[in-house]
Amino acid sequence: MTALDPALPAATARLTATARWQLTRHPLWLGLISAGSGLLLWWALASSGLVASLFLPPPQAVLAKLYLAATQGFMDATLWQHLTASLGRIGLALLAATVLGIPLGLLMGTRPLVRGLLDPLIEGYRPVPPLAYLPLIVIWCGIGELSKVLLIFLAMLAPIIMATTHGVSRASQSRIRAAQSLGASPRQVLYRVILPTALPDILTGLRIGLGAGWSTLVAAELVAATQGLGFMVQSAAQFLVTDMVLAGIAVIGGIAFVLELGLRALQRRLCPWHGQQD
Amino acid sequence: MCALLAQDISVFYPGQPEPALSQVNLSLGEASLTVALGPSGCGKTTLLNVLAGFIAPSQGRVTLDGQPVTGPGADRAVVFQHDALLPWLNVRDNVAFGLQLQGVGRAERQRRADDMLALVGLDAVAKQKIWALSGGMRQRVGIARALTSPSQVLLMDEPFGALDAFTREQMQVLLLKVWQHTGRRIFLITHDIEEALFLATELVLMSPGPGRIVERIHPPFSQRYRAGESVRQIKSDPAFIALREQLLSTLYRHRLSPEELAP
Repeated sequence: MTALDPALPAATARLTATARWQLTRHPLWLGLISAGSGLLLWWALASSGLVASLFLPPPQAVLAKLYLAATQGFMDATLWQHLTASLGRIGLALLAATVLGIPLGLLMGTRPLVRGLLDPLIEGYRPVPPLAYLPLIVIWCGIGELSKVLLIFLAMLAPIIMATTHGVSRASQSRIRAAQSLGASPRQVLYRVILPTALPDILTGLRIGLGAGWSTLVAAELVAATQGLGFMVQSAAQFLVTDMVLAGIAVIGGIAFVLELGLRALQRRLCPWHGQQD
Repeated sequence: MCALLAQDISVFYPGQPEPALSQVNLSLGEASLTVALGPSGCGKTTLLNVLAGFIAPSQGRVTLDGQPVTGPGADRAVVFQHDALLPWLNVRDNVAFGLQLQGVGRAERQRRADDMLALVGLDAVAKQKIWALSGGMRQRVGIARALTSPSQVLLMDEPFGALDAFTREQMQVLLLKVWQHTGRRIFLITHDIEEALFLATELVLMSPGPGRIVERIHPPFSQRYRAGESVRQIKSDPAFIALREQLLSTLYRHRLSPEELAP
């Protein structure tokens, strides 16, 4: 029994290397082609004169506007001030949704009583578009920062709770029982078995929540905002500054993309076993 | 003095007409390897869960060294069929997990984990990820982890049920080696007749409807393996085959309900 297959670790390493190549390098290569042709098509259409620049300004005009916003500002605030205002709202909402959502999700996943009580509440508000309950939030909480952060927070909370609850359900009965028969207390079962088991799903919940938060941002900044990326795009649209609208969209998209990549890298680093089992 | 004793165990599940387990008596004697064999629904998993303390019996009692068993604990180690390891820990840390829960220091628990890994032949992969291992190797990690517990009792829930025939036989041989080396009292459940015959010093044959023990035999084959005979030699021995057929016919007899037997 001591004779192990010496080729095994090498074979495993080879297998993971192949899987990684298929998972990342292949789509990146294809993605560059499609993104590049999209940009090229945009440039060709805009500079051909077929489409008025009011509707589709060329990429270089958008870049120039971006530079202008960064250096001189737009609507009494520089691009950085708009950026930090939005990132601050997103960050605050994410912090609150994480601090509240993960423990609630753990409770709902481990206690049928809590799940039975909270599930209808969450399932009740989750499908409602944030824009629909925004007026109510404004009536209750005014037009200040609180309403904006609250709206983004609510959009993030449901996916984080649901993903955590789902992650908890992945802790199989035998995994929990094995820990118990090794002498684990209920507290040790929660922190050493259930929480790490749920971690990949919790991180997925944060990714989905962050996406929902970004899409709510513009709605949140519709109301009496003087700074923020969403506000920047909205006011640019009112003055028909289409290149600034596109610049704002590009900045929002770029930041969301970078955050998503960062969270994915975090997920790969913290949970390398995710998607590897059986 | 008997370590683990089950007396008149019955288990009723709500909404089920027949008890899952009826009037079962079992004692794990000194250096015994008890195997519960039976088809699905015979109550063998329920029996193991009762012994481990995962479920409480509706009637009867389980005692360990005279103390009643009221729940799961480190005094009865359990090995599961699959999915009981922790993928965020490497092989050695999985084996040392129980020791870590008990608060054993890092150097000490690594030393003890390495000892157990050497016993199951996995010392070369101590730093590997769990998910990089084959099914058979994962089961060996599970056994090594259970062996780090000071418990004298090892309960095994169809530990080789998900393995291919070849790996399964290797694991049976490994289990006999571990049993001989550590002197644990082992209780193992399986639906594989050859596995049960080859491993058991005491074999309890179980039948469903209600789940109960219908026969107890004491096969000599694990002793013969310890005395130096080879696995294939034992499993192809006419005495082994005759006993296998006898068990099978007993199982078939008991699976027929009284109505089916009547005409």
